[in-house]
Amino acid sequence: MTRELPLIEAIKEAYIEEMDLDPNVFMVGQDIQGGIFPHTTELVDRFGKDRIVDTPISEIGMFGTAFGSALVGYRPIVDFMFGGFLYVSGSEVLVTLGQQYFLHGSQTPMPMVITAGVGSGGRLANDHSLFPKADIIHHPGLKYVFPSTPYDAKGLMKSAIRDDNPVFCFWHLSQMMDRGPVPEEEYLVPIGKADIKRQGTDVTLVANGWMLNHAIEAAAELDGEVSVEILDPRSYVPFDLDCLLTSLAKTNHLVIVDEDYRTCGFAAEIMALVMEHGFDLLDAPPVRLTMPDMPIPGGYLEPIVSPTPEKIVAAVRQVLV
Amino acid sequence: MALTKKQKKLLFTNLIRSHLFDEMVSKRMVSGRLVGFYHPGDGHLAPGVAAASFLQKSDYLSPHHRAHGMPHMLSKGIDMKYYIAEHTGKETGCCAGRSSFHFCFPEHGVFLMSGFIGYNFAPVVGLGWAAKQRGNQQVVMNCSGDGSYNEGRAHEALLMAANWRLPVVFFCENNGMAIFADANEMHPTPHISSMAKAYDMPSEIVDGQDVFASAEAALKAIKRAREGKGPTFIEAKTIRFREHDIGTPDLLGSAPRTKKQIDQLRARDPVEIATRHVREKGIFSEDEIAAIYEAAQAEVEAAEKFADDSPIPDVTEADLMKQVFYNGADV
Repeated sequence: MTRELPLIEAIKEAYIEEMDLDPNVFMVGQDIQGGIFPHTTELVDRFGKDRIVDTPISEIGMFGTAFGSALVGYRPIVDFMFGGFLYVSGSEVLVTLGQQYFLHGSQTPMPMVITAGVGSGGRLANDHSLFPKADIIHHPGLKYVFPSTPYDAKGLMKSAIRDDNPVFCFWHLSQMMDRGPVPEEEYLVPIGKADIKRQGTDVTLVANGWMLNHAIEAAAELDGEVSVEILDPRSYVPFDLDCLLTSLAKTNHLVIVDEDYRTCGFAAEIMALVMEHGFDLLDAPPVRLTMPDMPIPGGYLEPIVSPTPEKIVAAVRQVLV
Repeated sequence: MALTKKQKKLLFTNLIRSHLFDEMVSKRMVSGRLVGFYHPGDGHLAPGVAAASFLQKSDYLSPHHRAHGMPHMLSKGIDMKYYIAEHTGKETGCCAGRSSFHFCFPEHGVFLMSGFIGYNFAPVVGLGWAAKQRGNQQVVMNCSGDGSYNEGRAHEALLMAANWRLPVVFFCENNGMAIFADANEMHPTPHISSMAKAYDMPSEIVDGQDVFASAEAALKAIKRAREGKGPTFIEAKTIRFREHDIGTPDLLGSAPRTKKQIDQLRARDPVEIATRHVREKGIFSEDEIAAIYEAAQAEVEAAEKFADDSPIPDVTEADLMKQVFYNGADV
């Protein structure tokens, strides 16, 4: 049986199923008992305060609760609320976490999920609109997945919880209430597998999260003019390069949409990977559409700088010129 | 909590072992037979021995960079040869020769090191949380220097440990200086343990040159934690006889510490203080003291030999890539 669920409810189902399955899975965050976002609402009634743990506004201590307990067999899900808040404990989240396993002789697994709502759309300005991506995937030892649909959200979150490594599994604030089909039966979405969200033959459009919504809108707008293939990476570490190269072998044109800043962002990384592994596949220089290298403005200025369906349509036309 | 003769014997023995390991590692550093750097523990050896000698194997311990945690770890029953091998860059090292100076002995409750001062405060919250959840009377001994309490993360750990009544002992080894800077210029109060008041945490100041006095405080705090009564703050006032790390000038503020100053400090040598005590109280005979030195020297030499005889890791970049993640060959 499949129902339609909002993305945030699909994530909540993943938590509930995995917490029912394994008593070592628990959540730690700030104001999660009350449920600042609906993925944790009422979980405390079901699991109690020892498994839905509210901490003071102490990001380092909050993260430390997850980090220390993961060293001794717990499988924490740590919720930073807004993605940008993780920078408050940057040295722990980016460096200490990623190096823990390898640098200490690859002895103790570090099962942990780091989650948060991220991204633009709320016109909340830079600090609440950050999409921490390049910063995290740049640091070794950290896996990074990102769902674009309720189906992927539940399946990826469940895989992330079962993984014995630190996995970042954020979700997009502007997709929180997006509805989509979610099976009632148990399923997993594997980490490391991209997904072709739309078949096409003229151009490969790489988009994920809220940018996938924009890409689908743009592809519909271009219907009849350009046959757009939409590739949703779903997983950034590890990245499914084979899927991208297979698509490019068909389309020979590449447009990348990325909500992160431009310089050294993942869009740049994809371009580099294609240069290294698929140089002969391209018929035209690839185009990337990203946040500019600018603190994201809030208010009515946000869509001026962020990627939009209109800008994606223009980018696709540009790459095909 | 008066110490038994047996407890004093253990403390004295561990102090001598720490002293000889510190001396050996310092010498190897100078003669180029160690990788990385070394922060000598001379003078600053008793707090670690006091903090860790009475922990159980299942307790968690977070040592720090002074003497590279050796007094703590050997007192907890960890075989130092694997650490010396690590510090010599060998494949038999506790971190497979990858870490230069990090330690990791998960089966003994020592999980990590980091080059960031105060790194310990995040994991000890989680270790304390886990220990409390499991309710099996485990204790977390969190040892770090005065400088680590300059970090905001120290306040977060104190706050959360106090708020959740976690079984954590905050054992501050205050040697009065950072690399060069005078701790008194960095703290508004003469005692770092004053911080504990804000969190309604019991605290005690002890003479960190006196391994027995320090251990009495540690035992009390460990007992309190084990009984579920929450965290304790211990401040052991100790002294660093040497420079911050071998090769760095020995300054206080911007001025070199003079020979006269150092001589005055050395009058409070923890090894001499402890030796005087065991002699005066008749805890050990001269022969027994000599035997302790002999056994410790043999242990140090065996650890060196183990390290020197072990091979440098014979690995490729591809081999190492498979180790970045757990089940990394599949990633």
